[in-house]
Order: sequence, then C-alpha cells, then structure tokens
Amino acid sequence: MDHAISVVKVRQVLMVTMPPDPDDTTVTALQEKVLNAVERYGARGVVLDISAVETLDSFFARTVSETAQMVSLMGGRTVVAGMRPAVAVTATQIGLTLGNIETALTTERALELAAAEPVRRKAR
Amino acid sequence: MTSSAGELAIQGESDIVAARRTVRDAAARLGFGVTDVTRIVTAASELARNVFKYAGEGVMRWRYLEEGNRSGLELQFVDQGPGIGDIGRALEEGYSTGGGLGMGLPGARRLMDEMEIQSATGKGTTVTLKKWRRI
Repeated sequence: MDHAISVVKVRQVLMVTMPPDPDDTTVTALQEKVLNAVERYGARGVVLDISAVETLDSFFARTVSETAQMVSLMGGRTVVAGMRPAVAVTATQIGLTLGNIETALTTERALELAAAEPVRRKAR
Repeated sequence: MTSSAGELAIQGESDIVAARRTVRDAAARLGFGVTDVTRIVTAASELARNVFKYAGEGVMRWRYLEEGNRSGLELQFVDQGPGIGDIGRALEEGYSTGGGLGMGLPGARRLMDEMEIQSATGKGTTVTLKKWRRI
C-alpha cells in the first residue's frame, strides 16, 4: 500500500512519515492515527515528516495544522519536518501559514525539538 | 504518441489524486520547472476537490496552449452542480460555504496566471485556468 502512513516511535517521539501524494481519506486518517499513537505510547512529541510530499493543498495543510493543535491539547509537541522548497513557495503564495506550528529543515533537528519539554503557551 | 490535450472524469475522492497526477505529468512534459509544476498541481487539487465537494462530479480538461512565441497549459473544471451564488465573495479569502478554509479559489488564482469563472446558480460552474511558461 503506497498510501500508508508510517508511525515509528523513536525514544519519546513519534516519527510520522507522509506518502508523496496521499488521498483525502489517508490525510484524514493521519489525525486519528497520530492522536491514538500519542496516547498509546505516551509520546512527548510528534515529528511529521513531509519531505516526500509533493503537493500541500489547503485541505492537507488544515489537517496538519489541526492535528498539531490536538497533540498540543494532549500535552505534546508537533514539529513538521522537511518541507520541499517548491511546496514552501506554493504554500506561502496560497496564504497557508500552518498556524503556529514548529518546523524544522531535517527530521534529525525536528526529533531534537520534539523530544524537548513542550513549550507552555499562554492562552490567547 | 504523446497527446497535447486530455480529459478526466471527477466522480470520487480518488479522482482528486488522479487529477493531480494527470496535471503533474502534463505540466512536466511541457517543460515547467518543479516550482511551477507544484503551483499548477496544487491549484488543480483545490479545484478538483471543489468539483467533488460541491457538485459531486464533473470533468477536468487540459490542453497545451501555443500563442505567438509562448506556450502554456490550460486547465478547465466543469460541473453541473449548484453553481456559485456570489463569485465575488467566493474569491475572497476565508469565505467558504462548504466548511473549508476558503482558500481554494483565491489560492488557485494566485498560483496561476489567469483564471476565469463562469457560473449559473442551479446550472453549474466552469473554471478555466492558464499558466504560461516563462522562456
């Protein structure tokens, strides 16, 4: 199955790898899969590796953004890693900001960030 | 033989993926760079989803354009759905009647060089997009 989302636990962090061109069902499944895994493994953070992702449209971006927010409510930290240059250009042009999600250039750096203590944000 | 035009039925959610693949292939063959290919495919993804979400089904057509010494790609999304009541508002950022972000149409317009919307309430919508290749 080339649409599968892979979730691997590394130390206290869940490494979630997105396939290059996921359909909407796969993108929606990401949310539940990640939240369940955070609870089951007592993960401290989540790294969302999108380095293979070729198209980040508004639906995909919204799901990523919401998932990060939900993980945050559960006390975890989400770091989006590996966005391709062309995807970053397109996302900015479309006006996608990904909210206040943390990002990292590489999964290694993202892993360090996600394993750190969650940042306490004041309620807005 | 490689074709310079094509058509794809949008009838299910998986056809959004099919539309992205078709457009990616067509844009790459025309010689667009990776950033422009990503822009065009992202715009196509937004519009294919709109067809599926609002009309249930429709058609995507694509063709190569030649005009003087420039070439480009035209995409057309046609449906017989409910139509867009207020095109002006639909092009406003953050406006959505479908519970989305309201970024689909305005986003697609910014990613492409030209966009034209024809819509009649109760009859359907046709969105035509063009991207020219910089030489």
